[in-house]
Amino acid sequence: MLEGAKLIGAGAATIALAGAAVGIGNVFSSLIHSVARNPSLAKQLFGYAILGFALTEAIALFALMMAFLILFVF
Amino acid sequence: MNFDHNHVVIMGLNQRDSIWKLLNDYNVNSLKRRRQAEIDAFFELFERAQRIRFNNWQNGIELLDGAEWRNGDIVIPGGGGPVISSPLDQFFIDPLFGLDMGNFYLSFTNESLFMAVTVVLVLSLFGVVTKKGGGKSVPNAWQSLVELIYDFVLNLVNEQIGGNVKQKFFPCILVTFTFLLFCNLQGMIPFSFTVTSHFLITLALSFSIFIGITIVGFQRHGLHFFSFLLPAGVPLPLAPFLVLLELISYCFRALSLGIRLFANMMAGHSLVKILSGFAWTMLFLNNIFYFIGDLGPLFIVLALTGLELGVAILQAYVFTILICIYLNDAINLHQNE
Repeated sequence: MLEGAKLIGAGAATIALAGAAVGIGNVFSSLIHSVARNPSLAKQLFGYAILGFALTEAIALFALMMAFLILFVF
Repeated sequence: MNFDHNHVVIMGLNQRDSIWKLLNDYNVNSLKRRRQAEIDAFFELFERAQRIRFNNWQNGIELLDGAEWRNGDIVIPGGGGPVISSPLDQFFIDPLFGLDMGNFYLSFTNESLFMAVTVVLVLSLFGVVTKKGGGKSVPNAWQSLVELIYDFVLNLVNEQIGGNVKQKFFPCILVTFTFLLFCNLQGMIPFSFTVTSHFLITLALSFSIFIGITIVGFQRHGLHFFSFLLPAGVPLPLAPFLVLLELISYCFRALSLGIRLFANMMAGHSLVKILSGFAWTMLFLNNIFYFIGDLGPLFIVLALTGLELGVAILQAYVFTILICIYLNDAINLHQNE
């Protein structure tokens, strides 16, 4: 019973990935928009985009951490 | 009486007496004699489960009844070769030289070993390049690598930290970046160990750096550093809430800095392990179609390894740039925004 509840909880924790997917998509769509408007800034903007990507991805990994906590700690 | 493994394990030791009492209530002689064998069998199973459970606590990993470790694989006695082990086994901390002093666990683990290897690698690389007072004017490959790293971090610091104190903090930031970079990249070597995939390490690093940044802030601004917690031009009734929020967000920075690195490393390595487990299983299905089709998962694993190399460098970069941003906040407060 507890095992099953744990698995359900860990699975539910992955719902948070939807938000991260939207965030990462938003970062790169903004990058493409910006580069299309001003291609000369492409290099600088790419650096910002990668930083934004990493920060957004990290939020998704908090969900992963929650899943691991649910599975292995409690 | 059928006692399966799970039920036996759940029962605590103090329940043993009550079970005896319960069983003694069956005081009908004929019944008791028949049941005695079952009771013995039950307690044998109970003791065995307790023993296995105790061993599992020692090892930190849950093994099923009678299973044991052999060469990094779980082996089940009585048939069954190595089974696929958990993707988290690669993060297992293995004390190479055990040393416990009172409550302190001072063992030299594989984690310590790989950190030492990282330090030796970095020091020898930088040492070889800069020996006899500086490199050559035409650099060879090693010197180019070191110059690349140095130049990269120098640009980063110059861009992010304002004011005339950049050079003061540059060495610390360079060391942090190089250490993380080599730890992360070293973890990508097969059968090695990723030091940064343990939040013990990353949180220790981020917390100590963060305490250092706070000390720098207080050194430069004294008690005026507390104005960090209150943005300028805030109406007074709103101030208590904002101070609380800013305080929480300030403290959370330290936590998220460490967790980000650890989670990225651990997730990436587990993912590679899981997918290579698919490829490995598919390879040995003794079927020519699966054998050819195995190229698919194999290619995905290859691509993921490339991605992980990128993530290894990127996370070292992100960690460093965030340190620079936080340091800049502490040094310049609200000035250059």
